[in-house]
Amino acid sequence: MIKYSRFSLENGLRVLVHQDKSTPLVAMNILYDVGSRDEDPGLTGLAHLFEHLMFGGSVNIPEYDMPLQKVGGENNAFTNNDITNYYLTVPSENIETGFWLESDRMLELDFSQKTLDTQKKVVTEEFNQRYLNQPYGDAILKLRPLAYKVHPYRWPTIGMDISHIEKVDLDQIKEFFFSHYAPNNAIITLTGNITYDTAFELSQKWFGPIERRNVKPRNITPEPMQNEERTLTVEKDVPSEALYKVWHIGPRRSTDFFTLDLITDLLAGGESGRLHTSLVRDKKLFSEINAYITSDIDPGLIIVQGKLMKDINIHQADEAVNEVIAGLKDGTDIMNEMEKVKNKFESSTVFSNSSILNKAVNLSFNELLGDPDLINKEVDEYRKVTREMVEEVAGKYLVPSNSSTLYYKSTRKVK
Amino acid sequence: MEKLQRIQPPVFPVEKVFIPEVTSFSLNNGIPVYLIEAGNEEILRMEFTFKAGQIKEHLPLLASTTNMMLTEGSMDYTSEELNRLLDYYGAFLNLSSEKDRAGIVIYFLNKHIEKILELCLEILFRPQFPEKELNSLMKKRLSWYLVNREKVQNLSLDKFFESIFGKSHPYGYQLEDKDFSMLTPALLTDFHNRYYTPGNMAVIISGRIPEKTTELLNIYFGNIGKGNPPSEGSQTVLKGEERKKIHIDKTGTVQSAIRIGSATINKRHNDYPGLKILDSILGGYFGSRLMKNIREDKGYTYGISSSVSSLDLSGYKMISTEVSSENCSKAIDQIYNEIILLQHEPVTKEELNVVRNYMAGEILRMFDGPFALAESFKSAWEFGLDNKYYHRLTEKIKSIEPDEIINLARTYYNIDELYEITVGTK
Repeated sequence: MIKYSRFSLENGLRVLVHQDKSTPLVAMNILYDVGSRDEDPGLTGLAHLFEHLMFGGSVNIPEYDMPLQKVGGENNAFTNNDITNYYLTVPSENIETGFWLESDRMLELDFSQKTLDTQKKVVTEEFNQRYLNQPYGDAILKLRPLAYKVHPYRWPTIGMDISHIEKVDLDQIKEFFFSHYAPNNAIITLTGNITYDTAFELSQKWFGPIERRNVKPRNITPEPMQNEERTLTVEKDVPSEALYKVWHIGPRRSTDFFTLDLITDLLAGGESGRLHTSLVRDKKLFSEINAYITSDIDPGLIIVQGKLMKDINIHQADEAVNEVIAGLKDGTDIMNEMEKVKNKFESSTVFSNSSILNKAVNLSFNELLGDPDLINKEVDEYRKVTREMVEEVAGKYLVPSNSSTLYYKSTRKVK
Repeated sequence: MEKLQRIQPPVFPVEKVFIPEVTSFSLNNGIPVYLIEAGNEEILRMEFTFKAGQIKEHLPLLASTTNMMLTEGSMDYTSEELNRLLDYYGAFLNLSSEKDRAGIVIYFLNKHIEKILELCLEILFRPQFPEKELNSLMKKRLSWYLVNREKVQNLSLDKFFESIFGKSHPYGYQLEDKDFSMLTPALLTDFHNRYYTPGNMAVIISGRIPEKTTELLNIYFGNIGKGNPPSEGSQTVLKGEERKKIHIDKTGTVQSAIRIGSATINKRHNDYPGLKILDSILGGYFGSRLMKNIREDKGYTYGISSSVSSLDLSGYKMISTEVSSENCSKAIDQIYNEIILLQHEPVTKEELNVVRNYMAGEILRMFDGPFALAESFKSAWEFGLDNKYYHRLTEKIKSIEPDEIINLARTYYNIDELYEITVGTK
C-alpha cells in the first residue's frame, strides 16, 4: 500500500507527496500534460524537441544540469504520445535545488537560438541512431501510419519527418511553451525522504508565484473504426525477415484495459508465454517474438512483433501467429496459466514500486488518468479478469478487420 | 507580495554516505553466503555466482551457452516446466554470463523462498543439456548474432575488445558463424561439472531476509559435494594487437561508431579511484567535457560517454559514441583535444566541486535499496575487496587535487597507446 497526500496550488499546479524514510534520496517527477498527440501535423516532433530544449537553460539559470550535479543530483526525461515527463533524484538535504531548477524552467526558458540550433542537430542524430542506423529501426515508422489514418498517434514521438524539426523557429518554440508548459498543465510528485510540510512549503515558495496560463485546448479527431484488414510489405537489406501485427484497442481508462494487458501476458509474459512456447520452442518459426499493449491514453494498440528463423516463409509464420491468437478465444486454460500471469503481474508491480523514482512517475501518471490510487488498485483490477473476459475481449479486438500487418522482408533471400 | 529572488538555494555538501554492513557465513559444505538486509518490501534478490565466465572456456560460446542452457531442462523438470514454474511464482530470473563470472540472479516475493530455492537447485546443479534444446538455442543465437553484426555499435565494440586484449584471448576473440555449430551436450556437461561447483561459487542475498533463510540454504545447497578444484582457464597471454587504428567499412550507414581506449588498471590498483574521477570529468556524466563539447556545443551526436571497467585479469577504459558520418573525424579530433587538455590544464575548483558532489550523489544511489546494494557489494567483492573500497573512493573524491588529475591523465591516457576503432561509411 503506497500512501500519498496531495494538494493544489492556486495556479492549478497539482502536487503529490509520498514519504519513504528508508532512503537518503528524494525523487521529484514533473509531468506536463503534452505529448506528440498535441502537435500540428505540419510540425511534428515538437514535444520531444522541447524535452531537449528544457535542458538548455531557463530565464534565471543559464544551465540546468550543472547546479543539480553540484548538489549530487541526477536527472532525465522522456516524451511519449501523451506526456512529457521530467525527473530527478537528489540527496534529500538538497531537494530545494530541484524546486529552484524546475520552477525556473516552468517560469520561462531562455529561448536561445544557439541551444535550438544545437538540439536540432542532436535530435537528428537521435533519429538516425534509433530509426535509420539499426536493422528494423524504421518498422515503427511504417507501422503507425498503417494503423492510424487520422489520429496523431500516426506519427512517432520523434516526428513524422525530420524536416519538421529542421524548419522550426524560435517563435514557434515560444508559442508551444506558453500554450503547454504551465502550472495548470503539470503534476509534480515527490517521493522519498521528504515530509508533506516541506513539500508544501517549497512548492508554495517556488511554484506559487508562477501565473496560470491559457493552455491550448486539446482538439483531436478520434480514429475512425477500422473495417478492413490492412497489410504492407517492405523489402530491406536485413539478415532475417520480421513480422509486425497490430490491432486497435480501447483507451487507457477503458474497462477492457486490464483484460488486454493480461492477454499480452498470456501471449508473451516470460519464457512460458504462448507465442514463445508455440512459435519459438515448438515450431521454431521465430528466433524471438513479443507482444505488448501501448498504454496510450487515447485508443492504443496491441502489438505483436517477431523475427523469423532463416528460410521460414513469412506468410506461414503469420498464419501461425493467427492460430495462437485464435486459441485465446476457445477458453482453454493451459495449466493454471491465468493464475500464473496474475502472480507475475503482482510481483512485477511490487518490484516496480520498490523504487522511489518509479513510484513518483507512476503516481504522476495515475493522477493524470484521474485517480492516483490506481497505483494501489491495479493488482486487484488485474486479478479480477476471468477466462470468459479474455475470450470476449479477444473476440472483440483481435479480429482481422481490426488488424494491420507489416511484412518486413529481406532482400538477402538467396544465399 | 515580495518578489522571489530566484537565486540558488543553499547547497549542502553530500557527506552522509551510509553503507550498511554485510553479514557473511558459510554453508555446511563451505559455500560462502553474504546477506544484506535492506528495503521496505517483502522481496528478495538472490545471486548465485560462479567463476565460470568466458575466461574459463576453451571454445567460443561455451561459457555463455552452458549458462543459457541451465533452464532448458533438469533431472526433475523439462524446460517448459521450469519456465512455467518460475513464471507461476512470479520470479524474474536473469541468466548472466560475463567475461569472468557466470551464474543467475533471481528476484521474487519472499513468501515463495522455499519453492524458488528448490528450482534454483534444479537449475544450477541438475541441468541436463538436452541436444534438441541445444540445437534450437544455437540456431536462435546465430540468428541474433547476424542481426547484431548489422549494428555499428556491436561491430565496433567487438573489434575494440579484439584489439586491446588480443585475437586469441577469451577477453578479445571475436565470433564467427562456424562457432555456432561446434558445441555438444557433452562439452556443456563437462564445462558445467568443472565450474558450476560449490567450491567455485558464492551466494549474495539482499532484501527483507526471512529468518529461516540460513536453514533453507543449508537444506538445499549445504550438502552438495564440493567437486574437484576447478582447473585454470585460458593460458593465453593477454596482449593487445599491434595495429592501433582500425576502420571497418560499412556502407549505407548514416552514423559511424567510434570506440577509443585501451586496457588499463583494475579496482585492485591504488590509482583506480582517481582514475574513476578523471573518467567522470572526461565523459562519465551528463555534464562531462565530452558531452558538453561534442553533443551540447557541436551537436555531432545524441550521446557520448567514457567509462572505466574492471576485469579479473585486466581493466579497460573506453570512449564510445555514434556520430553523423560526415563529422566522424572532427569528433575524433575533439576527443583527443579533450584528453590533451586534461593532461595540461588544471581542472578548475568550480568544475572539481561539481564532479565531487555529483559522484558523492552517485555513491548514495549505488547504495540505495536492496538491488543497488547487492550489485555494489558484488562488484567490490569479486576483486577480493569489500565495502572499504567505497570508503576509499569517497575519500579520494573529497581529497583529490587538480595536479593529481593531470598526472593521472598523463599516466593513463597516453594518446600513443590508445586504440581507435571506427565503423561506418568512410
